[in-house]
Amino acid sequence: MGTFRFFRPESLRQLLEFKKKQGRRAHILDGGSNVLVYIKEGSIEGGTLVDVKFLKALKGIGIKDGWAQIGAGEVIADILASPLIRKQARFFTEALEQFANPLVRNMATLAGNIADSSPIGDTIPPLLVLEARVVAASVKGRREIPLDGFFTGPGQNVLKADEVITKIRFPVPSGGRGRFLKLGLRRGTSCSVASVAVWVAVKGKRVAQARIAFGGVAPTPIRARMAERSLAGRQPDGELIEQIARQAQAEVSPITDVRASAEYRRLVTGRLLAKALRGALGMEE
Amino acid sequence: MSKDYAIVGKRLAGLDEKDKVLGNVIFADDFTMPGLLHARVFRATKASARLKRLDVGKARALPGVACVLTAADVPYNESVKNVVGQTTEVGLLEAKHQVLVRERVRYWGEPIALVAAESPSVARDALRLIEVEYEDLPGVFDPLEAMKPSAPKIHGNNNVIASWKLRKGDVEKGFAEAEVIVEHEYRTPRQEHAPIEPESGVAWIDDMGVVNIRYAAQVIEHYRDVATVLGLPESRVRVIGTLIGGGFGGKEDVTVEVFLALLAWKTGRPVKLTYTREEMGYGRHKRHPYILRYKTGARKDGTLVALEAEVISDAGAYVYLSPWVLIYSTVHSTGPYLIPNVKVDAYSVLTNNIYTSAFRGFGGMQMAVAYEAQMDELAARLGMDPLAMRRKNFLKTGDVTASHEEITSQVRLEECARAAMEALGEKSRPASSRKKVGRGFACCWQSYGRMTFLHDTSSCWVNLEMDGSAVVRTGIPDLGGGQRESIRAVAAEVLGLKLDEVHVISTDSQVTPLSGTVTATRALYMSGNAARLAAESVRRIIAEQAAEMLGAPPEAIELRDKTAFSAKDPGRKLPLTEVIKRCLFRGTVPQSLNTFKAPFTEAITSDIIQAPIFPDFTFGAQAAEVEVDTETGEVKVLKWATAYDVGKAVNLNRVEGQMEGGAAQGLGFGLMEDYLEQDGLPLTWNLHDYLIPTSRDVPDIKCIVLESESGKGPFGAKGIAEPAIGAAGPAVVSAISNAIGVRIRHLPATPERVFFALQGKEGKG
Amino acid sequence: MVKTELYPLALTVNGRPVSARIAAETTLLDFLRDQGFIEVKRGCDKGDCGACTVIMDGKAILSCITLALQAEGSRILTVKSLGSWERLHPLQQAFVDYEALQCGFCTPGMLLAAKALLDHNPHPTREEIREAISGNLCRCTGYQKIVDAVEAVAKGAYR
Repeated sequence: MGTFRFFRPESLRQLLEFKKKQGRRAHILDGGSNVLVYIKEGSIEGGTLVDVKFLKALKGIGIKDGWAQIGAGEVIADILASPLIRKQARFFTEALEQFANPLVRNMATLAGNIADSSPIGDTIPPLLVLEARVVAASVKGRREIPLDGFFTGPGQNVLKADEVITKIRFPVPSGGRGRFLKLGLRRGTSCSVASVAVWVAVKGKRVAQARIAFGGVAPTPIRARMAERSLAGRQPDGELIEQIARQAQAEVSPITDVRASAEYRRLVTGRLLAKALRGALGMEE
Repeated sequence: MSKDYAIVGKRLAGLDEKDKVLGNVIFADDFTMPGLLHARVFRATKASARLKRLDVGKARALPGVACVLTAADVPYNESVKNVVGQTTEVGLLEAKHQVLVRERVRYWGEPIALVAAESPSVARDALRLIEVEYEDLPGVFDPLEAMKPSAPKIHGNNNVIASWKLRKGDVEKGFAEAEVIVEHEYRTPRQEHAPIEPESGVAWIDDMGVVNIRYAAQVIEHYRDVATVLGLPESRVRVIGTLIGGGFGGKEDVTVEVFLALLAWKTGRPVKLTYTREEMGYGRHKRHPYILRYKTGARKDGTLVALEAEVISDAGAYVYLSPWVLIYSTVHSTGPYLIPNVKVDAYSVLTNNIYTSAFRGFGGMQMAVAYEAQMDELAARLGMDPLAMRRKNFLKTGDVTASHEEITSQVRLEECARAAMEALGEKSRPASSRKKVGRGFACCWQSYGRMTFLHDTSSCWVNLEMDGSAVVRTGIPDLGGGQRESIRAVAAEVLGLKLDEVHVISTDSQVTPLSGTVTATRALYMSGNAARLAAESVRRIIAEQAAEMLGAPPEAIELRDKTAFSAKDPGRKLPLTEVIKRCLFRGTVPQSLNTFKAPFTEAITSDIIQAPIFPDFTFGAQAAEVEVDTETGEVKVLKWATAYDVGKAVNLNRVEGQMEGGAAQGLGFGLMEDYLEQDGLPLTWNLHDYLIPTSRDVPDIKCIVLESESGKGPFGAKGIAEPAIGAAGPAVVSAISNAIGVRIRHLPATPERVFFALQGKEGKG
Repeated sequence: MVKTELYPLALTVNGRPVSARIAAETTLLDFLRDQGFIEVKRGCDKGDCGACTVIMDGKAILSCITLALQAEGSRILTVKSLGSWERLHPLQQAFVDYEALQCGFCTPGMLLAAKALLDHNPHPTREEIREAISGNLCRCTGYQKIVDAVEAVAKGAYR
């Protein structure tokens, strides 16, 4: 006990100045749950715990100019309760409803899940297919980072030591449908063995837009660009879906761990993709 | 014909329940005393090694640390227990245990040192200052490897620390008569108890120099073990058992009590030790994983002719209760079926894995995975309905099993299986064309009451206060299975009192008569019978006095609602208080201390089990309906039913609670629970990685309670706690098999295993 | 020896103001138990079991992975806010009547998760009840009677 300090900035400016001074020794508590577990496990030793819970600058759930904007300090339960998000980003709410359990949803934030940068962060594949962008601020100003490109390895991302996530934004999805499927070893709260998010828009009989993301089968969550290209412009039918599913298995590089073998992860990713695509395309199960 | 009971057989809320919902219960970790020290255990981070160097100097010197103990500080660090009935090949079994590692580390997590400090964080800091150097020793992590003569030896000169056999008839001849033979290998997981309350306790020396240990104990008689380790007279150690936040056999062996006693004794101060959830993983025993090789033969009409089986359990690094667990396995290995020719060889083998010991079912429940799967497959091969096939083979009252147990109670297995399957109702339709729905059932049997050669006894002291209320003193611990409440109900029923007129004080080794352990599904049978005996003795005292006062024969006296009256003249009621007053005036105190003795048999002296060991058995069945996603292998459990003959449900709510809880724990065993190690290195040591069923994993459970009143417990009750888990895993495996046509033989049936089983099947065309 | 930096915390628990100076990394669970609210249980300390559930500003949360200092000014409810021996809360009475508990260790957290559900959704389906308590592990009951008890309260059996 007593190896940490505590700081509660009263404004965004104070937060950013502190982050500039302390760099990675300042641990932002966005929901806090992951950070506290790391402290208990001993993988974070020392530094300052920074409470941003009360910062207005990190709050706000809204839709503006066709973009959904969610403050870094908003918990998942409140995002799910937002009538705007429920109405205009239904796919996203369906995905978030699968996140952990109600207790965790009352505490966890998108920013926290993104900053944690786990290959199995369950908010990430849906945000990837929504082409979300992370707004990061520092004393020098702010920048928008596409989520696809944010992660550099398990637990690693492009955030600089003096940067803080302030907002997550994505264009309000329209003209298409999405699906998020996660596979765990029980129906209750469980780490994803593999997960798949898809967003498809169909024009006439052909796929106008296809976005596919995988979780848990590579060092970071990834967009499956090859599978997307194979799908774009094509007429979706059962055979095509199976072909894409097989192809997708080649885009992933899963590991074997206590939860599953690499081989199962590879094969089941294809199945989850097929299932998600069938669902998003309204095809019969 | 069933008697009309006032309290027994009803759904009655206990008084403990009210305290629990109010948050009033002081569990082990909730207790505190002035001057409390906080303890931690320093554990080995090698699975097989020699301790080359151990330096606790820096830890001792850390400000706030009260003491650091190593093996050298333990008066009697090593213990040896002889276990009866081993083969002459194996030699007299000496089960060796050590409190703290002196030189040899045998499993990852083995305790090396104890720390007590002013605060939990100082204690944790002290752990980091302990310096240790190991010399790696070759280890063995597979029981089959460990059985080989060339394997590294964990203790002594043989890793096979127990072996038991069944021999009946001639299996060669039997198989020759079989029209169909099924032969398979099954594997069951290393299951973790995962009680929500971690192991915890507080110890202190009281003003009479007695070491008091207040902890979550399934066995308060461990004060004797503590006394031995400390070199103290047994009368100088007192165990006070708390209400336990889940036991399941996990709080049955010696765990925190010895550490607590040592630290309190050395420091002279109160000490608290609460295991972290991680220590609950790597620091505590697990259920024995089994390799079950079964060959079963049957005639065309479905009658079984022969069973040959080889059963191998992983005992881990220390013996603990492994030989007993293996006895249960051997006796239960045939399943609840009459088989004319039986040859079973069972072995328990030491490895450098986490040590294994008691867990609900105690070796009996793992066998059901094999014997039920074998029955299903034989039935399928014969084109017979699975229940019809079993009906031809179920044990009946009066039958003698392969281990020479005579079945004395009723066997209502067919009724149970039928009821369970029917309770599933109409078959669900799969949610999509890629999902398959299937249903299955499984039967099981499980003994209740301890092995009779252990000469089990249970004592209870009942007295009536002057105002007619009663106090019952019983040593029995309460894990939440309602042990205390059942005793209250028994005493209230016999004495004609309301539940809140009976106070039960329990679980104190120096204040309450010893009632024995809460293990082996013995609590209701033993302590319930003891309470009944004591209450009946008190009742007789009152009845005799009342008889005199009423001029009626004592046999006619009834007690109800705090009055005494003659059945022949019920209008004339004496207040109980009057009767008690008269007794006291006479010098006859309305109290009694009684001991119930389970039938005693002689110790088994051969490794071929051919003598009755158990007082009785409980029989039951469970049924499940599942939906399998053929694309991913995920199994969704849609419906569940459990049907057991419990003899007599002393408290219906509680019986159902055991049945439902056992079903869920067995569902976990079947689908998701597996404590994994890699070369002795623990991998799933917390509740994040070791998955137990949540409310989303368990469906609605239908509970069917049959009451044959043919049990040996009070009012004809049988035990239910352990039997309740046995048929669950096999039932869900059977349901999956029904859905996808493939039987999973290596549990748990994870999505990956189901997925590849489906692939395998398709591969075969 | 470096002196531990302490920080002030003030909040209300079951309607009563509580304040202290605590180390930065103190969790809400640590704080509550140290302050004598031992009805809030520690099952795993990592957020996996739900035994430490309390209601904070109307939301059921895991106190073991909540920083105490982040609960500044909040209103915390533990199981003791629900009822008394003379008058149990409907959920508590239902749990007793249905025997929705055995060892009772998960019960304080379970009751609060159920209360939070009914506060937000007074008429949940059985599925919704199961979802609402899916973060609260119970090893004894198999959840059946817990769901039955919560449903009974939701259906108005305890008005």
